[in-house]
This record gives sequence, structure tokens and C-alpha cells, in this order.
Amino acid sequence: MSSSNLTMWASSKPSISDASPLSFRASVGSIFQLPSSGSPSRANPVAPIQCNLRELRDRIDSVKNTQKITEAMKLVAAAKVRRAQEAVVNGRPFSETLVEVLYNINEQLQIEDVDAPLTSVRPVKKVALVVVTGDRGLCGGFNNNIIKKAEARIAELKGLGLDYTVISVGKKGNSYFLRRPYIPVDKFLEGGTLPTAKEAQAIADDVFSLFVSEEVDKVELLYTKFVSLVKSNPVIHTLLPLSPKGEICDLNGNCVDAAEDEFFRLTTKEGKLTVERDVVRTETIDFSPILQFEQDPVQILDALLPLYLNSQILRALQESLASELAARMSAMSNATDNASELKKSLSMVYNRRRQAKITGEILEIVAGANALT
Amino acid sequence: MTLNLCVLTPNRIVWDSEVKEIILSTNTGQIGVLPNHAPIATAVDIGILRIRLNDQWLTMALMGGFARIGNNEITILVNDAEKGSDIDPQEAQETLELAEANLRKAEGKRQTIEANLALRRARTRVEAINAIS
Repeated sequence: MSSSNLTMWASSKPSISDASPLSFRASVGSIFQLPSSGSPSRANPVAPIQCNLRELRDRIDSVKNTQKITEAMKLVAAAKVRRAQEAVVNGRPFSETLVEVLYNINEQLQIEDVDAPLTSVRPVKKVALVVVTGDRGLCGGFNNNIIKKAEARIAELKGLGLDYTVISVGKKGNSYFLRRPYIPVDKFLEGGTLPTAKEAQAIADDVFSLFVSEEVDKVELLYTKFVSLVKSNPVIHTLLPLSPKGEICDLNGNCVDAAEDEFFRLTTKEGKLTVERDVVRTETIDFSPILQFEQDPVQILDALLPLYLNSQILRALQESLASELAARMSAMSNATDNASELKKSLSMVYNRRRQAKITGEILEIVAGANALT
Repeated sequence: MTLNLCVLTPNRIVWDSEVKEIILSTNTGQIGVLPNHAPIATAVDIGILRIRLNDQWLTMALMGGFARIGNNEITILVNDAEKGSDIDPQEAQETLELAEANLRKAEGKRQTIEANLALRRARTRVEAINAIS
């Protein structure tokens, strides 16, 4: 404000001072300048520059603030990735033992003809899609990618003439599907901050009852697979029916060795966060061959398969969360970089303008002083 | 001979230490397990698990799963497990009432399945608390 007063004063003073000795020239000047750009040029060149300078300053400030926010979000996301990783590690004893037991029982059951409800392969008429999205935005294309994948899958199912329904997990997916009432949604669920067995259970219950009551004949899980901090893939994973041969194969026939378990580890390398992905081969030790089954093998499989279903869903939720956080981390890191770049170029413009203005003022003063003498 | 019990849920290890004896609710009724039990594999129902440590009995609510016993090692894999002492009695009671109301309202096969499951879980939690007192 003080500088604007100063310039107003500086620019008006010469006009007054040169109005008295050379009123003729001044009036000519004012006449010449008035219609074209006289008074606007007097008010405007001062005002826009003033305004621009202030606007620039405001913008630089706001960019600075944004940068602080994005920086903080990046750090928070990084810390949360660690927590997500911890959750995966905590779940490992369970999934390892489960895989081990399944493997064993599967071997012992190979000979028998098993018919558990979760493995029944029916002609597919309706497919349920479980779409796992994030709860929050500001994570690059994360939510969009998975929703696009879901849309593509829906189009594909439509093309095949199959019915479908969506189970949406995560706020972003919920709001997307709510805005599109033509997509049948069975249930909206919200993912928590950190996926726990409870959330997985809620999804599993829903999926289970849909499948067992024969409302749907196939359940697919769409989630974002965590590959590395900078890469994650939206994938489709067939959840149900579990193929009778194994819990170990997925329906499309491509065998996934369940004994091969992957988990990711966040480490620091040269001060930067990196992710290591370990492939851990759990040894499937033979346990006592004289193992008796307390119930029918079918019943035991019945008890195991829901567990397997849950751990699959939980795993997907954890992967999805890790991908979201990683996506947010890189998006925020980009935003921080952009902000500092923007700040730099803005301050350059600001400084130039300021300098130009000062130079102009000095010139005016000097010119006025010259005119006086 | 010592008997080792390990209760695992997808989230964490709930229990991993030595015990004297356990009583487990399986799909075909309760079984007691003492050291040197014959190796068996069994499905675990939604129900309570009783653990004896010396002369003290503890209860735990199990939400269905699977158990493997052999070599004096018991491994129980369950969806969820809560120690009876960790459950808030009032909250559990409220959940039970809610679940009962839901079952009465349930229509169709699917909702009935869901409501039944929820009711059994809620009931087990209440039982786990009452078993202590």
C-alpha cells in the first residue's frame, strides 16, 4: 500500500509540476492522452501493475502454502505406507499357516470328489464385481484407473450378454456409482483407514451370501495391485467360485502358486524411500501323515474356504491401500516439485516487475527534476 | 510334555504360548485337548474357546475357522478372535439385540443367511463374557 501511494504521489507530482510552467504542453498532452489512453493510462498502468504485483505476491504466498500442504501429505502418505506394510507383515503368520494347511488338505483330498458350496461352478448368468477404490482423492490417477477398469469390465460383460452387479468399496467408488444410477450396485461399503479383518469380513459375508443364494454365479475382485512405489496395476481377480482343484488356481486356469507369497517392504536407500518386494516361498512341510479329520473333509474345506476368501479380500484391501498411498506419495511429490518451480518462476516475474516499476519511478523523478531545472 | 497353543487371525497373533488344556467348539461339538493328543484337523465353529493356564480358565470368542492339532502344537486359524476380558459387555449385549431384531426383519434367503451369521457371532461374544463371571 505504501508503495502504491508513493507511486501515485510520484506520478502525480510531475504532472502537477509540469502543469504550471508548461500548461500548454500539459493540456495538449492531456487532450491527446485522454481519449485514447490518457486517464486509463494514468489510472490503469498504475493500477494493474499495482494489482498484478499484489496478485503476484498473493499467488506466491498461496503456492507456498500449497507446497507446504503437499509436502506434508507426502510425508504422511510415506508414514502410512509403512503402517500398511506392517499390517501385511502382521498378517503373514496367518496366511502362511493357512496356505500350508490348505496345501496339505488339498493333497489329501485330491482323490476324493469334493463338493463344497464355494467351489460349485455354475453356468454364469450374473457376475458380481467387487470394486475397491480409495476413500480420498489427491492421489493421481489411482481411483480413476480402477474405475476405468471396472467400466471396461462392465462393458465387456454387457457385450457377453451377462447380468452384473457392483459391490463398491471405498468412498470414491461409492460417489462415482451413486452418480450413475444405471449401474446396479448391490452394496456400498466404506474402507477404513487401515483395512482389518472386520472390513474384509463384511465384504466376504456379502459376497458369500450372494454366491451361496445363487444370486450371482461368479464374483470378481477389482483392485489395484501394488507393484512398487511408482507402479501399481489395476487387476481383476476371480474370487468365487474357488476351483475345486485348488484354492491355489484361479478360474481362468492360470495357476497361482499360493505357496509363493509376496510382500513388500519399505526401506530407505540413500536417504530416499524405496520399496523392496520379497518373494517368500513358504515351505510346505508335510505334516503328520496320520492326521485324522475330525469331520468330513468336505466340512473342513467348508471351514477353510471362507477363511481363504477372507484372507484374499483382506490382502486385496491391503494392496489397494498401499497402492493408494504410494500413488498419493508420488502425486504429492510431483505437486511439491511443481509448486517450487511455479514459485520460482513467479518470484522471478514478481522481482522483474518490481524492479521495472522502481526503475520507472526513478526515471519519472529524474525527468521531473530535470524539467524543473 | 507341554502343549503349545497358537491362535492366528488375519490381523495378528492373538495367542502364542503354552497352555495346560483347551476346550474347543468344533462343528461336531466340543472337544478337549490335553498334551499328547492324536493329530487331528478340525473345523472350528463360531463359538467359545476355553483355555486352562494352570488352574485358571480363560475364554475367547472365536469367529469360525480351522484348527490343526499335532505334535503338541495347536494351531487355530480363525477370522477373528477376541479374549472374553477384552469385550465390552454392554456393547456386546446391544449388538446381540440388534442382531436378533435384524433376523426378525430379514426377508429372503440371502438376508436370512447374513442375519443368522451375525446373530451367532453376537451370541458367542456375550457367552464369552458370561463364562468368566
